[in-house]
Amino acid sequence: MYGGGNVFERMKATALVDEDPRKLAEFEARIERGEKIEPKDWMPQLYRKQLIRMIEQHAHSEIIGALPEGTWITRAPGFKRKLALMAKVQDEVGHAQLLYAAAETLGKSREKMIDDLITGKSKYSNIFNYPAFTWADSCFISWLVDAGAIVNQLANAKGSYGPYCRALERICAEESFHLKYGHHCVIHMATGSKKQREMMQAAINRWWPPMMHFFGPSDTISVHSEILMKWKVKMASNDACRQQFLDMYVPKIWELGLTIPDKNLQKNNETGQWEYTEPDWDEFKRVINGDGPCNKERLAVRRTAEERGRWVREALLAPKTKYITPLA
Amino acid sequence: MLKSLDPRVNRLNIPLEEAAHAQKNKLDQFETYEVFVQTKEDKPFEHVGIVHAPNEEMAFLFAKEQYTRRGMFCISLCVIKTENIRVSDYSENQKDIYDTFEGKYSGKTTYSFEVFHLIKRGKQHKYEGNVQAKNFEDALLAARDTYPRNKPVLNVWVVKSEDIFVSDEEDQDLWDTLQEKKYRDAIDYRAADKIKAFKEKQHEH
Repeated sequence: MYGGGNVFERMKATALVDEDPRKLAEFEARIERGEKIEPKDWMPQLYRKQLIRMIEQHAHSEIIGALPEGTWITRAPGFKRKLALMAKVQDEVGHAQLLYAAAETLGKSREKMIDDLITGKSKYSNIFNYPAFTWADSCFISWLVDAGAIVNQLANAKGSYGPYCRALERICAEESFHLKYGHHCVIHMATGSKKQREMMQAAINRWWPPMMHFFGPSDTISVHSEILMKWKVKMASNDACRQQFLDMYVPKIWELGLTIPDKNLQKNNETGQWEYTEPDWDEFKRVINGDGPCNKERLAVRRTAEERGRWVREALLAPKTKYITPLA
Repeated sequence: MLKSLDPRVNRLNIPLEEAAHAQKNKLDQFETYEVFVQTKEDKPFEHVGIVHAPNEEMAFLFAKEQYTRRGMFCISLCVIKTENIRVSDYSENQKDIYDTFEGKYSGKTTYSFEVFHLIKRGKQHKYEGNVQAKNFEDALLAARDTYPRNKPVLNVWVVKSEDIFVSDEEDQDLWDTLQEKKYRDAIDYRAADKIKAFKEKQHEH
């Protein structure tokens, strides 16, 4: 599970000046041919930096995303739902491990990444800064937030960095269970009692604005995003991902007799594009910069887990080992 | 104290103000192990990724959880500490890296080595076989003289056989999925009938 709309670093005009033009041309030709870049290959500093940032944000999102859902394991209705949700949360945490490993091959150690998460230096998907009030919120996350994540991940799996693509292939294979499970939960609620339907509808009303934020604001056309696209770091624009999500899932929500809290939402049959009320991007910025309903709680919980696990790591530490970057 | 919707979080009694966070110790997260999986009897071991662990037994356990859970076929698993793998240079497409090695294989059998090949960019290293040699460089030369190469090899990993931690053959049932764990598979969540029934009911009203 993961949110798009990555926060990429602004590129300085001089970012590529120091790169060897011959090596840069070879690097770009390789990507152009559709070949993957591997850890030991030469790559521009900017490519390395942006990839670390993107994969790291993705990994953090898996870890933090497990928190609002994890909340509901003990209170999920029935034994089977508890088992399934536990398996799903376990998957998400496993995905984080795969992603940290992929980012590590670029030269940033896992401990540094975890440090940057718990000190608030690194970002994660903004949607997890909102609380899951009821079981229906948990159903929404399992189905639709995961669906959004899959749209992103399938696009990124065609990117240029080998270790990231391979991690995403593994992740996407597991996401199919999450998606089906989430849909199953929502169908159960939507076709159930009046109370259940109301709960599900209330959850959709709560989660729709953050869901529209999920893919990030429209990309500004810039040299920067052009380069990231050319290098196959960014595979699709935020708007394209959002359109694809709406196209696949709005009809599925409607067929359950549920409504979406945006009276302007409709598909324009001439353009084939979905029209919607522009999401509140000031709110998005406010929350991503730390002022959301759950930002403090998410980081505090993660930090506490890290601190409470310290004695285990210390007990197992082998003082003579030295860290080397993993291979692939 | 931090107030949460989750009673488990409330029980942690986390102070509301940012607790001073000590930087992590160096190597707080352990060293890395490369993981290889064999999916079928007639398939070679293939590299799948890494785990962090304090020792090889735990690396094996983490690898099993991370890389060979449901839906991922596995009959055998091995882990190798990253620093114990000797990596050759990479060749560009169509060129065989073995052609760049100079020297003559000693023929000595001081150590046993296992050899892994990378054939295609974007794919992962696969197990090729075992050679005897006096050191790593010699093992590369031994491998060059031993294996027929229909396709150019892009990169070679060599590791001493004694540095490999591999599952026992009798442990294969580690990977048997229990019948009652079907709830972890997408196929267990069919709901088309329910949607259809719901739509028909709507239609009646």
